Amino acid sequence: MKLDVSFLLDVFPLLLSALPTTLLITAVSVSVGFVIGVVIASIRIYRVPYLYPIAVSYVTFIRGTPMLTHLFLIYFGLPLLVDGLASFAGLSFRAASIPLIWFAFISFSIMAGAYMSEVVRSGLLAVNRGQTEAAYAIGMNTWQALRRIVFPQAFATSLPILSNSVIGMLHGSTLAFTVSVVDINAKAQIVATTNWKFFEAYIAAAIIFWGLTIAIERITGHIEKRINRYNRGGVA
Amino acid sequence: MIKLTGITKSFGRNQVLKGIDLHVNKGEVVVILGPSGSGKTTLLRCINYLERPSDGQIVIGDSIVDCKRAGKQDILQLRRKSAMVFQQYNLFKHKTALENVMEGLVIVQKRPKEEARERSVQVLEKVGLGSKLDAYPSELSGGQQQRVGIARALALEPEVILFDEPTSALDPELVGEVLEVIRKIAKEGITMIVVTHEMGFARDVSNHVVFMDGGVIVEEGTPQEIFSSPKEERTKQFLKRITPEWSYTI
Amino acid sequence: MGKEFEITYVFTLFIKLLSALGTTMFIVVASILLGVIVGFLIALPRLYNIPVLRPFSQVFVSFFRGTPVLIQLFLIYYGLPEVLKLLSLDVSRAPVLMFVIFTYALHSGAFISEAIRAAVTAVDRGQVEAAYAVGMNSYQAFSRIVLPQALAVSIPVLANIVIANLKDTSLAFSLGVIELTGKAQTLVTATQHFIETYIALAGIYLLISIGLEKAFNKMERRLLSHERSAVQKAEERASYSLLSSYKGFVTRLKLGKGGSGL
Repeated sequence: MKLDVSFLLDVFPLLLSALPTTLLITAVSVSVGFVIGVVIASIRIYRVPYLYPIAVSYVTFIRGTPMLTHLFLIYFGLPLLVDGLASFAGLSFRAASIPLIWFAFISFSIMAGAYMSEVVRSGLLAVNRGQTEAAYAIGMNTWQALRRIVFPQAFATSLPILSNSVIGMLHGSTLAFTVSVVDINAKAQIVATTNWKFFEAYIAAAIIFWGLTIAIERITGHIEKRINRYNRGGVA
Repeated sequence: MIKLTGITKSFGRNQVLKGIDLHVNKGEVVVILGPSGSGKTTLLRCINYLERPSDGQIVIGDSIVDCKRAGKQDILQLRRKSAMVFQQYNLFKHKTALENVMEGLVIVQKRPKEEARERSVQVLEKVGLGSKLDAYPSELSGGQQQRVGIARALALEPEVILFDEPTSALDPELVGEVLEVIRKIAKEGITMIVVTHEMGFARDVSNHVVFMDGGVIVEEGTPQEIFSSPKEERTKQFLKRITPEWSYTI
Repeated sequence: MGKEFEITYVFTLFIKLLSALGTTMFIVVASILLGVIVGFLIALPRLYNIPVLRPFSQVFVSFFRGTPVLIQLFLIYYGLPEVLKLLSLDVSRAPVLMFVIFTYALHSGAFISEAIRAAVTAVDRGQVEAAYAVGMNSYQAFSRIVLPQALAVSIPVLANIVIANLKDTSLAFSLGVIELTGKAQTLVTATQHFIETYIALAGIYLLISIGLEKAFNKMERRLLSHERSAVQKAEERASYSLLSSYKGFVTRLKLGKGGSGL
């Protein structure tokens, strides 16, 4: 096997130059997705009329179709919409001036929103009703009960799946190459084709993603251990 | 002083409370008895608005709440005058025994942390848990958890503490320690309303016994009146059924 | 960009896309079948704590769950021939589809092995003890008692793995395979009707996902027919609109380190 080890070592710094882009896409989609997720989860938990079926269809659609199709739909559909609206409103703004990475931000955020809504929902539903009642019984108002009692417990229970969603978005960010955003994966492609060293480039990319994934798992594991002290068992 | 007037509560078509009037004086220990489904727990939950009564009026101290017109602030004020001890303890799972007791003092009553801590430690010592301040609920036995629950209620110095079957979820050997604590604080002159099946406790500790059935108060009086010479047929039957197996005293 | 939006094109393109449905389904079926075998092989060393193989299993699972499937796809497509050359095997002329199926088999296999492990551990220890108590040997106990119960538990998770696999096949276009997404790309180039094509494409994936989940739900209900409450749960899930059912989703997320779902 002609694995060029010295080249492999040279590839790392090249790929790492694209690390900020990968992390930025992941961070944006997870944060915006979390906000969307909270809204969608609230709509579903409180069964808000009219919005409820929309929320359910949104989650169903996103989870039933590949991430790639969302990206394409946004990439080709959004400009039509934006240009249509802009010319309707008489603005000179055109979709062509939207930076490409924004298409990744938007479509991945919409995607993350559907997944985050389930993370938030499962977390909130896992909190026992008695906990809220006890909070009310000692005189807390709704906001105090949510902030002091419900959210911390919901966060603790949903932390593992939250971490998996973050990892999912990290891995999903590799699709950004299809809209010409240079993330780690795209960078690996560039390095591979210019040097004709495909194997080395993708080994390096795989190692970087593997490392990032393990880091995310370690960090959440650590947080989990700290905030889950209260679950250390004993007599029920 | 607590005064309930014409409290009704329906779940859908099912009317669970059919007009309850109840008067509790300061320092009184009132026990509510009754078969399951008689509405006694619902009544208790209505008093601090964990259930919203359909109609009626609730007065605790200087808080007067008209159930048909109760706003958020009214409910909050009412809740801050009472405290509740739950059947399933409902301790905040993510907080230690001490934090459970401090929570209401710091967050609701806005007391300074140091003062809240001092007060909480004092109350936890009173219920015999001075050595378990930093234990999480999952590390405590049922009896210990319920004693923290009592301390949490007691620390708030409410006008009344509501007990919802506080020993029903406990293993038999743990019932005693919890009843002992309730008995102790009852003697200090704290107003209490207790829903329970512990007849011995009702007889020894309460000043006033209320018997409920089918969503109404069938009969009420001193423990002697209710236990020795009940007037109503339904009370007699209930006591006959329940007394033999529950007659132990502690 | 492209031609004006025409809704009728969605339908005609939908029909045209169906010609590639076979390739997509072939990748899914072949890689899941292989993935089940891989999953068992990887799960066993960890279930039975086999010394040398156990860490290998762990690394395998960690790698295939810890890296994006797209990277795995490229890595295997470019790397496997190099590795096999060492064994003087020339696969440089093998069809691309083979590499794709191989990648997804390994990727799904990692997730399936975790599902197997979770399901087997979920079976009550008392069940095995009862099996031994009536005189079964360990093979009988496994095949007669543990496996049927574990299978029922793992259906929702398996459903999610299969659907994730279906969605991941869309990446095969990047190696030039004409499955659904690859076909969509060629149609886009030919017709310039971008939006219509991708709406039709999303529609096909959505229909297959929903169909798969319905089928798995039915299977789960059949396997769980001994447990009434569990059957009710499965029915609730079915009536709920499949993809938004959250229990199965949560179980998958718990097992799934990223990638597969996206």
